[in-house]
Amino acid sequence: EVTLKSSDTHPDGYPTVEAVKHMGKLLQESTDGRICVEVFHSAQLGQEKDTIEQTKFGVIDLNRVSMGPFNNLVEETKVVSLPYVFKGVDHMHRVMDGPIGEDILKAFEPHGYVGLAFYDGGSRSFYNRVKPIKSIEDLDGMKVRVMQSDIFVDMMSALGANATPMPYGEVYSSIQTGVIDGAENNWPSYESSGHYEVAGYYTLDEHLIVPEVLVMSKVSWDKLSPEDQEAVRQAARASVPVMRDLWQAREKASEEKVRAAGVEVITEIDKEPFMAAMDSVYEKHVTSDKLKDLVSRIRATD
Amino acid sequence: MRYVSTAALWFAGGGLILMTMFISAQVFMRYVMNDSLVWSEPASVILMGWFIFLGAAVGIREGYHLSFDVLLYFLPAGAKLALFSVSDIVVAAFGAGMAWFGTELALSAWNVKLPSLGISGAVDFLPLVAGGCLIFVFSLERLVRRAAGLPTARFGETEMEDA
Amino acid sequence: MEPFILFGTFTFLLLIGTPVAFCLGAASLATVLYMGLPPVIVFQRLNSGVSVFALMAIPFFIFAGELMVRGDIARRLVALAGAVVGHLRGGLGQVNISASVLFGGISGSAAADATAIGGLMIPQMKKKGYSVEYGVNITVMSSIIALMLPPSHNMIIYSISAGGRLSIADLFTAGILPGLLLATTLMTTAWFVAKRAGYPTESFPGWSALGGLLLNAIPGLLLIGIIFGGVRSGVFTASESSCIAAVYALLVTTLAYRTMHWPEFVAATKAAVRTTAMVLLVIGCAASFGWLLAFLKIPAELVAFMKGVSENPLIILLMINIVLLFLGTFMDMSPLIVITTPIFLPVATAFGVDPVHFGVILVLNLGIGLCTPPVGTVLFVGCAVGKISVWDAIRTIWPFYGAAIFTLGLVTYIPALSLWLPSLFH
Ligand code: NA
Ligand code: NA
Repeated sequence: EVTLKSSDTHPDGYPTVEAVKHMGKLLQESTDGRICVEVFHSAQLGQEKDTIEQTKFGVIDLNRVSMGPFNNLVEETKVVSLPYVFKGVDHMHRVMDGPIGEDILKAFEPHGYVGLAFYDGGSRSFYNRVKPIKSIEDLDGMKVRVMQSDIFVDMMSALGANATPMPYGEVYSSIQTGVIDGAENNWPSYESSGHYEVAGYYTLDEHLIVPEVLVMSKVSWDKLSPEDQEAVRQAARASVPVMRDLWQAREKASEEKVRAAGVEVITEIDKEPFMAAMDSVYEKHVTSDKLKDLVSRIRATD
Repeated sequence: MRYVSTAALWFAGGGLILMTMFISAQVFMRYVMNDSLVWSEPASVILMGWFIFLGAAVGIREGYHLSFDVLLYFLPAGAKLALFSVSDIVVAAFGAGMAWFGTELALSAWNVKLPSLGISGAVDFLPLVAGGCLIFVFSLERLVRRAAGLPTARFGETEMEDA
Repeated sequence: MEPFILFGTFTFLLLIGTPVAFCLGAASLATVLYMGLPPVIVFQRLNSGVSVFALMAIPFFIFAGELMVRGDIARRLVALAGAVVGHLRGGLGQVNISASVLFGGISGSAAADATAIGGLMIPQMKKKGYSVEYGVNITVMSSIIALMLPPSHNMIIYSISAGGRLSIADLFTAGILPGLLLATTLMTTAWFVAKRAGYPTESFPGWSALGGLLLNAIPGLLLIGIIFGGVRSGVFTASESSCIAAVYALLVTTLAYRTMHWPEFVAATKAAVRTTAMVLLVIGCAASFGWLLAFLKIPAELVAFMKGVSENPLIILLMINIVLLFLGTFMDMSPLIVITTPIFLPVATAFGVDPVHFGVILVLNLGIGLCTPPVGTVLFVGCAVGKISVWDAIRTIWPFYGAAIFTLGLVTYIPALSLWLPSLFH
């Protein structure tokens, strides 16, 4: 009898947390109770960068993480962190459910992880307290908080904004006082962080649609029999549709709450200039043949 | 030993001053020039690691780490010294662990490039390794001094030397 | 067995006088070895426990405090404060608490408040004949005020841990009255303790002398204005303000007062490194210890036990308070908020407690935990600044614990204290 310890930085009840719990239920059924899953939510075991290391050591068996912390470790994950690489959420689903997703999952293995499934991370858009962003010119010189990642910093600079890395916990008061003008995130985080209370303009440009990943420690994986390994893979796969349903419901609830609070949501924007500005970012970060090939395959996917 | 400790303290102090400069530069660049520095935060965090672990090691030698001496009030001097030696052995072992496993962490992060800084992730763990080595060495020094009947500094008992 | 090894090793090492940081670290290491986990995990937690950007406020405020003390800012400020409230019982104690109210609105960090105000006040109190314990006790307990008054990072952490259903603006506002109430009860306690100890009161020096002292202290007073104004007007963030404070203190002491020369500067830097290293090493090792608590599901088991005991909301809140106070003695604040919010909040709301009200209870409660041994970060900072042993501090801190717990009781059982002010904005 094995209990797989799983880490997640999101709180209990969050779609990714519930999806892994669901996976555990399926696994328990398919193995007659031999394998179960215990989710440590709310970053109890540490932030993503730390839990990724712990997963490598086999202290944590399963880990639901964003792609960002893997970018400098597993090169292939960079491709999904590129701005405007997907045409939309459905396109992202088609790519990640197909052979490209399969290849990226396999790329984790040499680094000590077994890639099991991709979850949704929503699409990230800009919000600010100053004015509705309707064109790329509106972003010019605006101080926008981004995550500490080279791609995101370069993306903001390419758009003419002043990329300002800052700890997440300081963003709310920094927007309120004007240290920064805005930030960027998906509907649920824009709502749950309370940032919509201080940044009243939300521009749905969907510059980043980055899936998240569920990985297993190679150490823990090798302890399982081939049948059990297959059972884990099956259960992880089966948790994906559950996760997507939960995610959609969550996104909708957040959107309703934000709109009800009187936030101005800008949907009418011409994305072409934004996408055109990304050439320099692609040039700088898509350097290897492996990445170039992945990008063109994603572009070729309907 | 005294020179090693003094050098470590100067190095740590330099780290604190450098960190002050980084953060002030960030405020100036963002507010006055509207051009934020993306490296000031991660660089400051690494500097903080340096002066915490080096400063902590110097603290072993100078005896300024917080401790709790309740039980020791009721013990004879001989037993007290024996227990202090047990403490020093535990601290030495932990310092050795910091150095050993810090090296393991640094090696495993060797090929990871740190965002915004562009340097190896191993740098993140070097303060842990350096601090661990010094903690180990300074704890051994305490054990040797005590065995030789020389005094060892303890929290709350001795004034810190300001060399 | 694992919890026994964890707490057993910790207690044993603590009793034989091992430095607290290493008690935590070695106990974690022993437990990890017993469980057959890779020991590297302990050191990874230690390293990431100190690699937190928000922690930089601690070295900066310590540094600023050292510069202010060695560069004569502190003496002039205290001279002024002494002239204004020195005729009250425990005058400098009252100044210490009032300073925390002012300062708390800037820093939002109890440890930073304890270092900055403590570094300023404790040496002066000692000089004026107050016992060091009294100075440390007041510094430590009044620094909790910083957690209650906006801006408080902990309120944001709570809001996010609560699944984001809560308005951070409401949480900020909700902390104001409880924070001021805490200041009031602490000032009253300080008055009584000072009266019993027979601490000196000073005579009022007259208006012209007061004017001179004010003029003298203006550069120091401006620090509060610059920090407060800078944060409110968006020049820098709350945690960056700690760095600005250090830079400003350096400029004032070298250029305006001309009291800071190379030897003083070196001494201030070295002292700041020493104190910072000691405090942050404890925080780092507590991160290992806290990781093991979470890994062993100890907080969750405590809650499960508690839920089985009673169904009465008043008793549930009382039990939650006790459990939080208990956990708070072993762990640091932000990990505890993150771990306990998702567990306790549903329990509390099920019994009709407003989530914003619960956030205030939680933060105040864990704030008190920062001042209690064995792992009281703020208590350690206070002791380090006052250079006394933890034992000496807790021997005499009881009246102030009493005042804080009395305030916690009022805040817990009178929801309006937290909820009335935010309701004005709806
Ligand atoms: Na105070
Ligand atoms: Na505590």
